[in-house]
Formats: sequence, C-alpha cells, structure tokens
Amino acid sequence: MRALRKKELEKKGLKSRALDRKERVGQEQAMAFLEVRNLELNVGGFKLHDIRLRVEEGDYVAVIGPSGSGKSLLLETIIGFYSPKAGRIFLEGCDITAFTPDKRQISIVYQDHVLFPHMTVFENIAYALQKKVKDKARIKAEVERIASLLEISPLLFRRPKTLSGGEKQRTALARGLVVRPKLLLLDEPFSALDVRTKERLRAILKNAIREYSTTVLHVTHDFDDLWALADRVLVIRNGKVMQEGEPEAVFKRPSPNFVAEFLGTNLLKGRVRNREGNFTVLELEEKSLAQASKPELEMESEAKSSLLFYSADSGKPGEVVSLSIRPEDIILAEKALESSARNMLKGKVKVLTKKEHLVSVSLKLESGNKSDLSAISKAAQASPGFKAPACPDSKVSEYSDSKASGIELKAVITPTACELLGLERGKEVYAIFKAANVKIIR
Amino acid sequence: MKQSAFRKGATGIACFFTCLLFLAVGTLLLILKPSELLKALLSAEMLYSMKLSLLTASISTLAVMFFSIPTAYSLSRFDFSGKSLVRSILGLPMAFPELVLGLSLLLLFGQTPLGSGLEALGLRVPFSKLGIGVAQFFVAFPYAVRVIYSTFEGIDCRYEQVSRSFGYGDFETFRNVTLPMARGGLFASAVITFARCIGAFGAVLILAGGSYMYTEVLPVTLYLNISYGNLEMAITSGVLLMGIAFLAILCFEHFEGEKS
Repeated sequence: MRALRKKELEKKGLKSRALDRKERVGQEQAMAFLEVRNLELNVGGFKLHDIRLRVEEGDYVAVIGPSGSGKSLLLETIIGFYSPKAGRIFLEGCDITAFTPDKRQISIVYQDHVLFPHMTVFENIAYALQKKVKDKARIKAEVERIASLLEISPLLFRRPKTLSGGEKQRTALARGLVVRPKLLLLDEPFSALDVRTKERLRAILKNAIREYSTTVLHVTHDFDDLWALADRVLVIRNGKVMQEGEPEAVFKRPSPNFVAEFLGTNLLKGRVRNREGNFTVLELEEKSLAQASKPELEMESEAKSSLLFYSADSGKPGEVVSLSIRPEDIILAEKALESSARNMLKGKVKVLTKKEHLVSVSLKLESGNKSDLSAISKAAQASPGFKAPACPDSKVSEYSDSKASGIELKAVITPTACELLGLERGKEVYAIFKAANVKIIR
Repeated sequence: MKQSAFRKGATGIACFFTCLLFLAVGTLLLILKPSELLKALLSAEMLYSMKLSLLTASISTLAVMFFSIPTAYSLSRFDFSGKSLVRSILGLPMAFPELVLGLSLLLLFGQTPLGSGLEALGLRVPFSKLGIGVAQFFVAFPYAVRVIYSTFEGIDCRYEQVSRSFGYGDFETFRNVTLPMARGGLFASAVITFARCIGAFGAVLILAGGSYMYTEVLPVTLYLNISYGNLEMAITSGVLLMGIAFLAILCFEHFEGEKS
C-alpha cells in the first residue's frame, strides 16, 4: 500500500517530501516523516516511556496493544493535546514538540466521532476548512468532493444526532481528511461499529487515504483493521513500544512473549533436535507449553515423551527456542490427510469460542508422536485414498497412546467449517500446518 | 410487588412536604381578591419597585454572565496555582448569610480606598441604586459560576481539541465550539441568575438601604409594607417574586431536561 501510494505521488508529479528531506540531510540517516524520540509522559496514571517511532511519508501504521497501554495518549501527545515531560516530536524534519495543536497540521478522528452537535454534516466538514480556505465556493467544492468519496453526500444537511454510527464515523473521517493533514490520527474509529459496517468503512477509508495521500497512525484493537489497512504495526504495552515492523513479520515473529500472547499467536517452547534436509526438527516436551511467559511452564530438562514440529527456519541442534504459529495458518481435519504440509498433529477440542465471524478452536494435543516414516497413523491409513507420503520424513504423527500432552494449540476457522467438521468439546481432530508457518523465535 | 417500608417512608416525606409547600404558595395566591391584587399592582410604589427590580436584575444578570462565563471556563479547563482557593472563595457567598455579604460589601465600598476611589469617579455604591446592582451581582455570581462550571464540565474537552487541530486558536474554539455547545446551560444559568438577582434581599438592604421609592426593589417593597402593616402590597410583591421564581425554575428545568 505504501509503495503504491508513493508511486501515485510520483505519477501526479509530486515529488515525495520524504525524498526531498533525505536529499537535504544528505549522507546521514534521513529523518523520518514523523519521528518521535525518547518521548516520556505521565498523565493521570497513564504513562509513555521512552517512545521511539519513525513513520515514513505515506505509511499507514497500526498501533495495537492492550487497553490502558497508552496508545491513545501517544496520539494525543503527537497532535499536541499533551506536552511531553521529555523527548521530541519531529514532523517533516521540523521540531513540533512545543507547537500548539493549531500549528501542527495533524487531524484526529475518535471512536465516538466528536462531531460538533450544533453543526450539520456540511458545517462540520466545512468548519475544518474555513480556517485555511476563505473562498466559500472552494470550501463547498472540497466538502462535496470528500462527501462523495466517503459516500455521505445525501447526509450533508443533517445534524449528527440523526446519523447512524457508520454515517457519523464517515463524517468524522471526512472532516479529518478534508484539510489534507500531514498526518491523520485514528483512535479506534471502527470499534463501535458492527462487522459489516466496519468492512465497508475500511474499504471507503482505504480509498480516501489513497486519494488524499495521507500518512496515518491508526490505534486499533481489531486485527482485521491491521490486515486490511496497515503497512506497518506498532505494538505498545504499558507505555512502551514492544515491537514494530510489517504486520506479517510481527505476527509471524512476535518478539517478546507479551506480543505473541497479545496477538493470539501460538507460542510454544522447544528444543532443536536436528536438521532434516531443509527442515529443522523441533522437540516440544510435555508441559513445556505455550504461555512461555509463565515460569511454571518452563521446559523441563528431561521429558518423558515429546511432540515433533517441523520448521522451515534454521536452528542449531540443542538450541532452546520459541515457536510461533498463527492460528489462521492451522487447518483442522477430521481425518489424517495427505498434503504438502509437514506438520500433522492429533488433538482433542478443548474449547470453542465464537469471535464475530470466526471460531477459535483450542486443541489439547496428544503426546507420543514419533518422527518415523513408518509411523503413519492408523487413522490415516484407514482413510480412503490415502497414500503414504513420498518425502523421506514423517508427516503424520503416530499416537502411541491417547494421553494428552498438556500442549495446547489454537486454530481459527469459520463457523461453516466448524459446522462441517461437527466440532464439539472432546472431538478428535488433526491440526495440519506447513513447516513454513512454524517460525522460530530466539 | 410489595413496597419496602423505606420506600414508603421516603415517598411519604416527599409528598408531605410538597403538599405543605403547595398550601403555603396557594395561601399567598388565594388570600387577596383579584381586584385587590390588581389595585396593588398598579400602585405607584409597586410600579416603581417592579421597574427598578427588572432594570437592576437585568443589568446585574448581564454583568454576572459576562464575568461568570470566563471564570467558570478557566476553573473548568485551565490549571493555575491557587485554583482550589479561588473555587472555595467564589463559593463562600453561597454558604454565608446574605446579610453578612451585604455588610462585607458595605465595608468594602464604604470604608476602604476602593469605595472612596469609585466615589471620586462619581460612582457611589453604598445606599445608591448602583449598590442594588452590586449587591445583586455578588449574590448571584457564585451560583452562576457553579451552574456554568458544571455545563463546561459536561462538554468533552476533545471537541475543543479537535477544533484546535484544524488551526483554530483558544478563543476561536471557545466562540465557535464551546459557547454554542453550552448554550442550554448558559441560558439556564442566566434564568437562575435573574431570579437570584430579583429576589436578593439581605445584601441589597444592607448595601443599598431600603429607601422608599429610591432603592426599593420587590423584596424591599415586601419588607417595608410588612413593617407598615400594609398586607396587600406585601402579598402582591410576594406573588410577583413567586411568579418570577416559578418561571425561572420552569425554564431551568426545561434546559436541564434538554441537556440530559
């Protein structure tokens, strides 16, 4: 999305301001479009601690983290509603730390819209422009343009109290964008909306952002926002940046345990056993599970039996590592299947949780699988049309007994898939995932 | 559903005192014949008193609103040293008797350089019509600040912050966003202020004196006529004051209801 926007800017003949700046700064590291350095703030119990942030022009950055972690406070400090105790904020190379909000050219859109109730939709949007543009005809044209882009043209002469949540949010977005801010801050703008409205609004916003070529910082709790819109993600906890990077990288390799836990990634602890061809074989010991942050779940030095995982990442034998597997990357099947996926584990459904339009399935894996080609499960052999895998390594785990390993794995599927599989508590299923989706974290 | 004894008791107390108040008000309204009421209303003294009351209360209300809006806004939005002290001092006149307030004002404008300075400028406060306005101002000001303060507190600061992010300064934001959003509360406050001003008695009596047909406002008319034993005039001024108070409360409730 970022590259696309940069291309568009160039197509329009607008040389990227970021590129200009880079030229100015010369050989030294160019200052980012938005740069936050060592920001410290303490407001009413909420703290920001040593926040460092670099956002390039045209970036769409999602800021995620648990409630009370300081995400909104960060936005409100960037826009100038709070003065930091220490640290500096640079926008387009200019130190704006001491600037009042009216001098920063940054817009903010809140979850609860904050539309002026005494103004119509038109007046709300026009108000944002009136300070900069005096020509009434131009104001009207600009308002009509953004209204058409955000599909609120028929609502222009209505008061905010007569609008639905989605309509209010589109008005708030129009008001924030119409001034062509250097930076648009979105504070959970879609949180109060239903799933369908959210999806529609994401598409509308994406289009509008592209049209207005704005850099965006978007605080959200919804990972769908992140996947649909962001090209970078920033994870915050207790006022500290825990991790940042491209969404895929952060989700695949959440660095601290907290990030993995927060992102809902399966985080397991294991030991590299050996290398088999291009794959690393990892041994997960019983009770060595997942929530690695919990000390009582630390790996025991001598395990009785183990589960084997295959990863496409490299690892040194004997090395103790964490494994990250995204729940969306796990396929559930009633029977053992022949496929290209290297990992197939049997487990019992422990918990089924419906989350909006998806179902989260928590599986308790059974222990005792062996990395042995001949050890293809009876269930797999019994399944019609089953062929033994051609590759020299084991793909199917054999369960010498049905004892639960204590290792849990979360998978996410659609309600339809859940229905087709007839999933219920205690049902045995196979969890199948590719070695490429097992990420080793050190 | 069976009602608890507590619920019954509380409702009973509320009903009993409402009835008592209604009876008291009703007595005031019913004791005079309409012709007697009209005669008293059209008397020169009552007309003078009404005119002076309306004039002084209107001017005082304007002055109170003019000064209480920035006062309440600064207390609501800005942090400054001694803020809690300012808040406490502003609230004091609500707690102590109007007579004491009147005495304090009399001493301030009569015995201090402030009073003599104003007198040198031709502004005599004690025992003058100006004194009526000053007394009304100080009686109503703390109430107005309290009502307007709660109105501003009810407006989310983020409306102002959003406005500021569009390039508007503090004052422009206050004028374009805060004041229109506080309109209902400000109107309610003006109504209450007007009622407080027109009904101010103790402070007015001490600072402006109760001079017949000079500093005679409606409460003073009631007081003077009760002293003379002229019950008709006293009751008529009481009815007028009650009518004004009733209208004020109606307006206040209307705007409070709108706000909620």
